[in-house]
Amino acid sequence: MKAGTVNTASRRPRFNWLNDLWPWLCAASVALSLLMLGALLALLLVRGLGHFWPATLEEVTLRSGDTFAGHAVREVELPQQAGDERLYFTGNQDIEGARWRWVKIEEIAERAQPADLIRLERSPWGDFIGRLVAIEQDDQRWEGDAAWQRLTALLALPASQRQESQLLLTTVDGQTLRQPMASIVSAQAPNAMSWSQKTHVWGDGVWRFLSEGPRAANTDGGVWPAIFGTVLMVILMSVMVTPFGVLAAIYLNEIAHQGRLTRLVRIGVRNLAGVPSIVYGVFGLGVFVYGIGGSLDEWFFSDTLPSPTFGTGGLLWASLTLALLTLPVVIVATEEGLARIPEAQREGAVALGATRLEMLTRIVLPMAAPAMLTGVILAVARAAGEVAPLMLVGVAKLAPQMPIDGEFPYLHLERKFMHLGYHLFDTAFHGEDVQAAIPLVYATALLLVLIVLVLNLTAIFLRHYLGRQRGNEC
Amino acid sequence: MTPPRLTSSRQPLRLLQDRVATGFITAGGVGVLLAILAIGVFLIWETLPLLAIGESLALAKLSPLAWGTLKAALAALLFAIPVALGAAIYSALFMSARLRARIKPALEMMEAIPGVVVGFIAGLILAPWVERHLASALVLIIWLPLSAGLAGLLWQLVKARLRRRLPPLSWAGLWLIPWLALMVAIALWLAPWMEQLWLGGDLRQLLDQRFGMDYATRNALIVGLAMGFAVIPSIYSLAEDALADVPSTLIEGAQALGASRWQALWKVALAAAGPGIFSAVMIGAGRAVGETMIVLMASGNTALFSASPFEGMRSMAAAIAIELPEASPGGQTYHLLIFAALVLFIFTFLVNTLAEVVRQRLRRRYRQMGGTS
Amino acid sequence: MLAPLHSANTAQVPVAHFSSEHSCLSIDHLSLAYAGKEALRDLTLSVPRHRVTAFIGPSGCGKSTLLRAINRLHDLNETVTHSGKITLEGQNIHDPQTNVTELRRRVGMVFQTPNPFPMSIYENVAFGLRLQQRLPKRKRDDIIEWALTSAALWDEVKDRLHRSAWQLSGGQQQRLVIARTLAVQPDVLLLDEPASALDPISTLKIEELIRNLKSELTLVLVTHNMQQAARVSDYTAFLHQGELVEYGPTDQVFTNPRLQHTENYITGRIT
Repeated sequence: MKAGTVNTASRRPRFNWLNDLWPWLCAASVALSLLMLGALLALLLVRGLGHFWPATLEEVTLRSGDTFAGHAVREVELPQQAGDERLYFTGNQDIEGARWRWVKIEEIAERAQPADLIRLERSPWGDFIGRLVAIEQDDQRWEGDAAWQRLTALLALPASQRQESQLLLTTVDGQTLRQPMASIVSAQAPNAMSWSQKTHVWGDGVWRFLSEGPRAANTDGGVWPAIFGTVLMVILMSVMVTPFGVLAAIYLNEIAHQGRLTRLVRIGVRNLAGVPSIVYGVFGLGVFVYGIGGSLDEWFFSDTLPSPTFGTGGLLWASLTLALLTLPVVIVATEEGLARIPEAQREGAVALGATRLEMLTRIVLPMAAPAMLTGVILAVARAAGEVAPLMLVGVAKLAPQMPIDGEFPYLHLERKFMHLGYHLFDTAFHGEDVQAAIPLVYATALLLVLIVLVLNLTAIFLRHYLGRQRGNEC
Repeated sequence: MTPPRLTSSRQPLRLLQDRVATGFITAGGVGVLLAILAIGVFLIWETLPLLAIGESLALAKLSPLAWGTLKAALAALLFAIPVALGAAIYSALFMSARLRARIKPALEMMEAIPGVVVGFIAGLILAPWVERHLASALVLIIWLPLSAGLAGLLWQLVKARLRRRLPPLSWAGLWLIPWLALMVAIALWLAPWMEQLWLGGDLRQLLDQRFGMDYATRNALIVGLAMGFAVIPSIYSLAEDALADVPSTLIEGAQALGASRWQALWKVALAAAGPGIFSAVMIGAGRAVGETMIVLMASGNTALFSASPFEGMRSMAAAIAIELPEASPGGQTYHLLIFAALVLFIFTFLVNTLAEVVRQRLRRRYRQMGGTS
Repeated sequence: MLAPLHSANTAQVPVAHFSSEHSCLSIDHLSLAYAGKEALRDLTLSVPRHRVTAFIGPSGCGKSTLLRAINRLHDLNETVTHSGKITLEGQNIHDPQTNVTELRRRVGMVFQTPNPFPMSIYENVAFGLRLQQRLPKRKRDDIIEWALTSAALWDEVKDRLHRSAWQLSGGQQQRLVIARTLAVQPDVLLLDEPASALDPISTLKIEELIRNLKSELTLVLVTHNMQQAARVSDYTAFLHQGELVEYGPTDQVFTNPRLQHTENYITGRIT
């Protein structure tokens, strides 16, 4: 700790702008950085997790006498005028033709939160917000509370066992519609829910987000295929990058003649970690996809040409490209680990009559294992968040098939796949209804950041643990 | 008690294994290194056909992209360098050791946040907000450093006895956070008033009418903020290392000779760590030039020649990401985009090498000074 | 400091000569250089079997370099060049026919700082054995017990053989390293200042161990501690600036050195 406070505390020297204020500016830089980081994480957390909290439904009556139901999303100042306007999500796209409604606050005459308002998640047409009048099944008919209980009972059954029935629904402005039971995904009456019920619904929503596939052109549903694609790609990448990275590091550190050339190569490898990822993407596209993939197609898949099999972006090329991209990370981390092993350990093994191979496999590599693991985790963290090169070598906005399925050869390396980062980019910037997609984009972003941060924290922890172990030994 | 002699029947096998393994590792290692080298070779090879096309066309296509890249990187560095260096100076020279052990990893964690997330926040959240509150945003940029100075001034003015009870400067990095948050809130509350009072309501209209400046939602200002955020940790981390490595005896020695804290920092610490800070900035610049997703999502992607901070741009990296998948292999666009990639590759590689060489030389100098072990 | 020795002096160095049946290791006109910088110059001496021979001399005189040359540890460093000959039991150790791993088994080496491997005590001792041949577990256990007993460590560790070796004290670690080396049954044991990093009690234990071991094998001890050399060694060689100054029975070297240099060093007038 540097003491900068003592001299001013004992006697008061002349106040000097330069001398006394600039440390505060520097301190403010740290504070500002932390503030930005904290704000970003808080924004993602609140918006990403808040989306799944069942929002209170309002029945809004305007001064014009118009009524509608929905939940408030946000308020914005009116351009060029005083006052605010508020955005409501109203659902009912099949009836109203739109799912969103901007309303000036001053036009609102009354807001109520009746407990009988329900929200149905349907496929197709998205959400319905209104009231449940009755459920009809063959000759039977349930009304009022009984209808709601019947509906929840039916939804609790697996989809195949639900009896075919009709829902009689009415919107708050009096339009009615019949909805077949088969199109209902879920139902909730958020205004009537207790806190614990809401929490339950929230947990359920988070789980479905993680475990289901996207619906309605990526604006709804979950991200499971993207999680799966990301994880599979990263696993394939680690399988490729770990042996080669470790091999190169061992060569550089243990076998190569430690001369000028090796030093140059080492600097070069280190610097490759700073080369933009898009450059690796270009290399992957030109060499892997067009070069190797094109040749593979000519040799083995000529019957399907001109439609390419391996000559287009796919899982294999994407993981190869990312393996190349993360190779420097693994090499540098492993080399640091190798360099940290005391020379005495190597000499001890050699003096006992071990060959170089025996010394490496029995003493050096086990000791360097945490460093290698750190390198691989850092590589995985980098690969999980990397999007730009994937846009060139094989990511898809909506992959029709999963890269692993029951069909021989089970793992389809040539298929395109979905990726969390690209999914985020695509839904946020190329979606049809960005407004509807934004909550999901927040959730996806939160998920991605969490994955990457957890991986990085693991690496930091490992490195710390490694440092402690080293401390014991000295 | 002497146990029976050992027989070494496995000797030839062991030596053979060793020789085979050494050969294997050498082959593998050299192979991997060659594969890495292949990136450069490939890029150059694919650029060669461009020589036939003639340079005027290449120039016409690439110069807006190059301009966009430079503009984006410059905007990012303008924001990142002061913040990152300020933070580095503070945490290397003033921060309490206990705090520093926590804060430094936290700041380095910023680097891990994927570009696509930063780009999303910048493009879809920050950009529309700044568009609606341009005046507030600009006021904030001036107001934040002023409020930091204000904190310092208040602290100086407080009576000495009271000051001892306040948290010291070494913890200021932490307790300035609520202070800054408060100042941001005040600025946001006041800015519309000031805009009304002095600028007649709307700054954007004023800019348009008075100076003829267009305002694009996604512009250099947004890119600068977002990419600055992404570049801060890399500059901070390296600059902090360089400053922390300056032997403390040097700074103390200067102060013992009567230099003020400011002089000690400026003349001694910054001078000694200068090369390290230079290489930190270089690495930051390399990152800013190559960052793809943030520019792609926050810049509007219009290939313009414009120096205005309120207009968009298209960078080389973003152009590659958008156009290359659609370009037919072997076509002119394809080669041009690969040329752009080559430029990025060479630029970042050179910048990083320069930084690395400077850093190594600096380390050697410290070792000679004997200040650090 | 001593003035550089003249070649006339070197010629007069009295070398203890042993008949070939007594000599275990002989060094013949050995010179050695690191990256062109000379570290050993024209060294000739022979080490008697089943005796303790001490190399003494000021730091940087080349005594550790000489020790490492006997184990061919310099092979790991490509910049080292040498001329001359080292023979172990009549066999040139640099001969292309010589198997270097077998040589290193026969010539055990213990370093200045204890360097147990990051594994259990048992595995440390078993390390060299496992390299040599596959033994049934019973036999391996026997050898390990014998090695630890010979290194005077068995009683201290027999209940925690499978604990990490890094939990042992410095002196115990050094004795473990000696046990590890004994387990592969070397003919010669090289000790490079084995007690310099240890406390006095551990040092005494190591010295006692060295005296006991000479019935089993030939020991070469490098030390900068004159008393230690006097206490444990039978023969002493004094090296200075890469050259052999004096070599003879320890009593004679310490009580009645032939050369003024040696006396100056022993009496502490030069360091």
